[in-house]
Amino acid sequence: MRLLVVEDEPRMAQILQAALEAADFTVDVVGTGGDAREALSMVPYDAAVLDLGLPDGDGMLLLRALRRDGNRVPILILTARDTVEDRVGGLDAGADDYLVKPFALAEVIARIKALLRRPGGALGTTLAAGNVLFDTIGRDVRVDDRPIPLSRRESTILEHLMRRLGRVVPKSVLEEKLYGYGEELESNAVPVHVHHLRRKLIDAGANAEIHTVRGIGYLLTETKS
Amino acid sequence: MHRRFHSLQFRLALRLALLFIGATALAFGILAYRAYETAGSLNDRELSLRAEDLASSVRLDDARNPLAELPPSLVRAYSVGAALYAIRTPGGQVIAASSPSFADRVRGWPPPGEDPSYFRLTGFKDGKNYYGLSISLESTAGPLWVSVAEAGEANTLVQSLLWEFGTDLTWIIPLFTLVTLAIGVIAIRGGLKPVKAVAAMAAAIGPEATSVRLPEKNLPTEIAPLVHAINHALDRLDQGFAVQREFTANAAHELRTPLAIITGALESLPATGELTGLKSDVTRMNRLVEQLLRVARLDAISLEMSDTVNLEAVASEVVANMAPWAVAQGRAIAFADSQRPVCIVGNAHAVGDAIRNVVENAVLYAPEGDEIEVRVGDDLTVSVADRGPGIPVDDRERIFDRFWRGKGSGVEGAGLGLSIIREIMLRHGGSVQVKENPGGGTIFVLAFPTGPGSETLVGSASASRR
Repeated sequence: MRLLVVEDEPRMAQILQAALEAADFTVDVVGTGGDAREALSMVPYDAAVLDLGLPDGDGMLLLRALRRDGNRVPILILTARDTVEDRVGGLDAGADDYLVKPFALAEVIARIKALLRRPGGALGTTLAAGNVLFDTIGRDVRVDDRPIPLSRRESTILEHLMRRLGRVVPKSVLEEKLYGYGEELESNAVPVHVHHLRRKLIDAGANAEIHTVRGIGYLLTETKS
Repeated sequence: MHRRFHSLQFRLALRLALLFIGATALAFGILAYRAYETAGSLNDRELSLRAEDLASSVRLDDARNPLAELPPSLVRAYSVGAALYAIRTPGGQVIAASSPSFADRVRGWPPPGEDPSYFRLTGFKDGKNYYGLSISLESTAGPLWVSVAEAGEANTLVQSLLWEFGTDLTWIIPLFTLVTLAIGVIAIRGGLKPVKAVAAMAAAIGPEATSVRLPEKNLPTEIAPLVHAINHALDRLDQGFAVQREFTANAAHELRTPLAIITGALESLPATGELTGLKSDVTRMNRLVEQLLRVARLDAISLEMSDTVNLEAVASEVVANMAPWAVAQGRAIAFADSQRPVCIVGNAHAVGDAIRNVVENAVLYAPEGDEIEVRVGDDLTVSVADRGPGIPVDDRERIFDRFWRGKGSGVEGAGLGLSIIREIMLRHGGSVQVKENPGGGTIFVLAFPTGPGSETLVGSASASRR
């Protein structure tokens, strides 16, 4: 999979490139907005990482110009600016996600993968968290390549947790996903299903763990190996 | 005591008192001088008249020698001894005198002119001093040299007059002085009243409120230039502060990129013990920069305080956003809602920052495996409870000072987080309190003020039930 990194800071670019290449991406690096437009017009990149502070103008301008030209490449913005206005501005201009410096490289990679997994994204249909793989078409869950049997509701919960790996999924969202409008909601339904799912993952030796954020929802993290 | 000597009232009183004393002394002096002078000239005139009386009482006898025949009234007057006279012929012969001793004295005197010549006599047996004149006068008996004198005590009248005047003045002058002082003091107090109001305003000026300027209206014109100058000084300070804040904001901003580079570079290195230490150093640095940035932003921006902030929504979002980090630190985090929206008026971003800082603090101090609970209360509070070591009562105020850090906490921090919380709560007219958690640990309570716009939406909840 081929990524474009638009970053004018040579050291930052170097580190991003090394980390992304280590995660099996093919990475091109450019340092200016002009070069970025040229590269994006010639190569069908799967995603781009864009630093907003560029020497030849604001990355936001580049973003708008790209979207105006009809380029739909998923874009993750990296920036030192973190006010709400900046975030909203970036997303409004057509960015798909937003990371504020300083960030962990693991998070950059996770976010890029999440972008690629979106409908129409390049990563297709297999979600991954640690040694847990989830094939969203076959509804097939494997830990270390061994299939584990999950109920329909358990796998729905796992899918949403894996789609938002490392971020909290509100309980209310899971309830909406589990039950259609007509269906009666059992009061303890989600916690019970999560409990079973957690048990099954532990038993299968998964190095991904479900944490409860009481009062809010659930969070899937990869356990440090 | 020393301050009193610098007070305008004291200075005015002192100067006015000195002025009055000086003026009184001067007036009294001039009066005395004039009185004595007038008395002197009256005396001289009296003596001249007496001399003329004496001269007119001399006539030529049958032998054509001058003979003094004083009328009985004059004889009586001179017999008392308070006055002396002597009449001489141009030859120097004394033809009449009030006493032989005076006649003896006068005998040797030089001839007087037609203008009176004055003399003063001392050394009489009775100890009296005499003042008198000698004059040459024409009479029916031809030219005569007449000398008359009066005892010096004749000025007692003037003295008693002056004394009376003096005693009158000595109580009137202090009275006037007091009245004048009272008027002066009242005028000063009245004139300085706006100055007190200005001083109260000036007392409110600090690093948090640099935009306040002192009112220059209604001030005495003497004070206005000072206030004007102070306002200008405040303008310059304000600019200095602005530059400083901008610098801090920019510095924190510019630090982020290199920090991101270091963080990334460390992640790609093979894991060693040294690397773990370096990573935690960089994490600490990151936190410091983040907090500096927040402080700088708080200082630099006058918060837009008109949002309707749903504490439930803001707090639950903060908990959701911080949960991954808390979990990575080995702590759990929970949220307890109030079952209904709790709204205040303020700045949602700042409130979120405050809650984030409290949670961050709680996670860092809570023991591993502990659960931090964030609770939104109907009484417009957000409380964060942990089971950490607790905070000694003595420290509960100081922990909110910038860069304050507990001793031996073992937690690496810049000591900025809690000061940010307090700052944000103050801006909202609220407060942050530290309480003991029953059963161990600490509860931080962010209390927002009840007021217009802040409400627990009981009304709408009951409305929807209808």
